[in-house]
Amino acid sequence: MPTIQTLYDAILNGNAKAAKEITQTSLAAGANPQALVDDTMIPAMNEVGRRYEANEYFVPELLIAARAMKASLELIRPLLSARGAEPVGRVVIGTVQGDLHDIGKNLVGAMLEGAGFEVIDLGVDVSPEKFINAAREKKATLVALSALLTTTMHSMKAVMEKLKESGMRGNVKVMIGGAPVTQKYADEIGADGYSSNANAAVALARKLLAA
Amino acid sequence: MRLKLISCEVFTRELCDAAARSVHQVDLQFLPKGLHDIGCSGMRERLQTAIDGVDTSLCERILLGYGLCNNGIAGLIARAVPLVVPRAHDCMTLFFGSRQRYEDYFRQNPGTYFLTTGWIERGEATGELRQLSIQHANGMDLTYNELVEKYGEDNAQFLYEQLGDQTKHYRRLAFIEMGLEPDGSFLATARSRAQEKGLEFSTEQGDLRLIHALVNGPWDDSEFLTVPPGERIVTDFGGGLIRTEKGNAEAGAE
Repeated sequence: MPTIQTLYDAILNGNAKAAKEITQTSLAAGANPQALVDDTMIPAMNEVGRRYEANEYFVPELLIAARAMKASLELIRPLLSARGAEPVGRVVIGTVQGDLHDIGKNLVGAMLEGAGFEVIDLGVDVSPEKFINAAREKKATLVALSALLTTTMHSMKAVMEKLKESGMRGNVKVMIGGAPVTQKYADEIGADGYSSNANAAVALARKLLAA
Repeated sequence: MRLKLISCEVFTRELCDAAARSVHQVDLQFLPKGLHDIGCSGMRERLQTAIDGVDTSLCERILLGYGLCNNGIAGLIARAVPLVVPRAHDCMTLFFGSRQRYEDYFRQNPGTYFLTTGWIERGEATGELRQLSIQHANGMDLTYNELVEKYGEDNAQFLYEQLGDQTKHYRRLAFIEMGLEPDGSFLATARSRAQEKGLEFSTEQGDLRLIHALVNGPWDDSEFLTVPPGERIVTDFGGGLIRTEKGNAEAGAE
């Protein structure tokens, strides 16, 4: 079907309008929504990730591809939910308390959404309690924490401590990221993973939930 | 004592004043502002090069006019003479006069953009440093018109919203007055920037104490890390922010 290749290209090129239109046309023509996701859209996002790793794509390309993916998914997701299909995983994401930067967090959220995760974005300056309540209410399996400053990294540790106190630690995996964050810091505070960029964050999220 | 100071140029006015009044003989070397934007390994390499270029027969200590600055000082190695570094997240600790005072202010006023004379007159990174910045390397520093040209009008609007302003959630702009300002022009500039960005404006009293302590010593361990020859700086977020470790020329930051 030629349209499939075009939806692939629309996502790869970050053309949200085309992605939406092609998805509508394909669904109207009876395309299987799950197959569209699995056979065309996820492979397109994987290719976006490959190009990013190869320095052919940069942050703007990631963002517009994820935006096109989202435009298409907004049409498909209700159909999948109606069939009882579950997202790949539910992620609660936010920038930790005291930190008001969100470029990195938004990028990771968009890429996770593009990979089929349901993303619950709590915004910036998010308290540990808010992360924990959201994870509990939404039955999230993954919590993703972002910080841009060394002055706010301790808030990541505070989330880890609250998770333990609340008895929720065993229910969720925790991944962290942001300019000053390192694998060493993730190990120190007992987070399950660290990622240095948004594309690697998707692979990490898959790996953590598969474990 | 003869000391060498290698510092970010953001402290030019404060450190020139402090060096002039120091009990020691302090040789000053300023590096361009904006090294924190080129990534920790790039910043570390430049600082290490500057440290390695010092004639250590002419000084007993090398002082660093830097904070941790996004881990940019992590991995630096002291060679023939000790390095002395303030225990500071970034330059704001030095402008506020203590780590505690800055952290208290930061906690009570999240989302504050700070300006000082150095931040105003030495502004944004330019030239080579801008080209090397992480923002540039990731395609995140394009103007609106460049975005339109590259990605079309529709995507450009979206991208500009996403990438255009790192400080879009900030609430306040604070001008830190160090008492060295020649006139009211810096304050006026800061105030007008706050107005342009629609931020609440405040003036905070800076404190030169820690900057003076850097050039005077005796470098109490609670406020300064002294790195003995052959050791390197590593982060210590659980304690004093930075500590030393046996050096390894090949090892980078963590």
